[in-house]
Amino acid sequence: MIEHCKECVDLLGDYVEGQLPPEQEKALETHLSMCMPCITFVRTYKATRRLCRTALAKEMPSELMGALSSFLGKHVPGFSCPKSKQGQPEAVAPDSELKKG
Amino acid sequence: MGWSRLDRRRVLLYGPPPLDQPHPMMPEAPRTDGEPTDRELVELSQKGDGAAFARLVERHQRQLYRLALRMTGSEADANEVLQEAFLNAWQKLPAFRGESQFSSWLYRIAANSALMRLRRKRRAPDGLPDQPLELQAPKFSSEGLLDPPPYSDWSQRADEKMMSSQLGVAIEKAVQELPEDYRTVFLLKDVDGLSNEDIATSLDLTVPAVKSRLHRARLALREKLGDFFGA
Repeated sequence: MIEHCKECVDLLGDYVEGQLPPEQEKALETHLSMCMPCITFVRTYKATRRLCRTALAKEMPSELMGALSSFLGKHVPGFSCPKSKQGQPEAVAPDSELKKG
Repeated sequence: MGWSRLDRRRVLLYGPPPLDQPHPMMPEAPRTDGEPTDRELVELSQKGDGAAFARLVERHQRQLYRLALRMTGSEADANEVLQEAFLNAWQKLPAFRGESQFSSWLYRIAANSALMRLRRKRRAPDGLPDQPLELQAPKFSSEGLLDPPPYSDWSQRADEKMMSSQLGVAIEKAVQELPEDYRTVFLLKDVDGLSNEDIATSLDLTVPAVKSRLHRARLALREKLGDFFGA
């Protein structure tokens, strides 16, 4: 039985990753079903992870790829990066996926 | 407030977003594009095939770059971390037994390289400033209730503003202001998708310590984002 928001917040890390034991998960969800502030807290906690991941996903500059390739070419016998792929952007999860929970 | 039980379940039970990279601890799936797997390229590289190693570099450099950039906060440092990490990987590859995925092993090398660089900088006379010791966190009343309660739900507004450059700058600043140990764990987990176990191994921490730092970092960032949205 979870009576206080503090206990709920303390368990959130494991909860959002599905790592809580079933009994604790049930107790937490019971608390959430009765506590609007905690529901808001959970939603903004999850949004924080999602937003940070979206904002911090960055492309590696092509010049840096070139510099890395040149460096390794001097130290690794037979090293030759496939040049045709060097400047291609990396596929990232579409916005629709990132906007989920 | 008109919240149905179904609404609550929908809101609460969504898992984290799918990652754009396979999880390091998951078995490597066969490739559907006809390209060799990491394991095949590793085996060739272990026999001295530099071209195979180049394919591995091409495949993993972007993800390693993100990690190095966020850990060091500097593109120049990230460049050096990448060079050092891949060169180390090449040199240590004969000893790689495949007990973990190659990508996981590579992450550990890069994380160690970045941490050593940060430690060297901190020792330098003009090194990094001391990290703040206190993290922002939610406040509770003596009864254990959220105080003040977060009635302002900015998560929906966050979706609308998802791509705003101001928000991006605010997030970058908030993450950069986290103490280094917390920032590293947060980035490895929530941005780069490593498992708690891999992070613990990379950073020489226990899994409970990883979880604790991760949760406190998320709480601190949530407070900062709340400030940004005026919550």
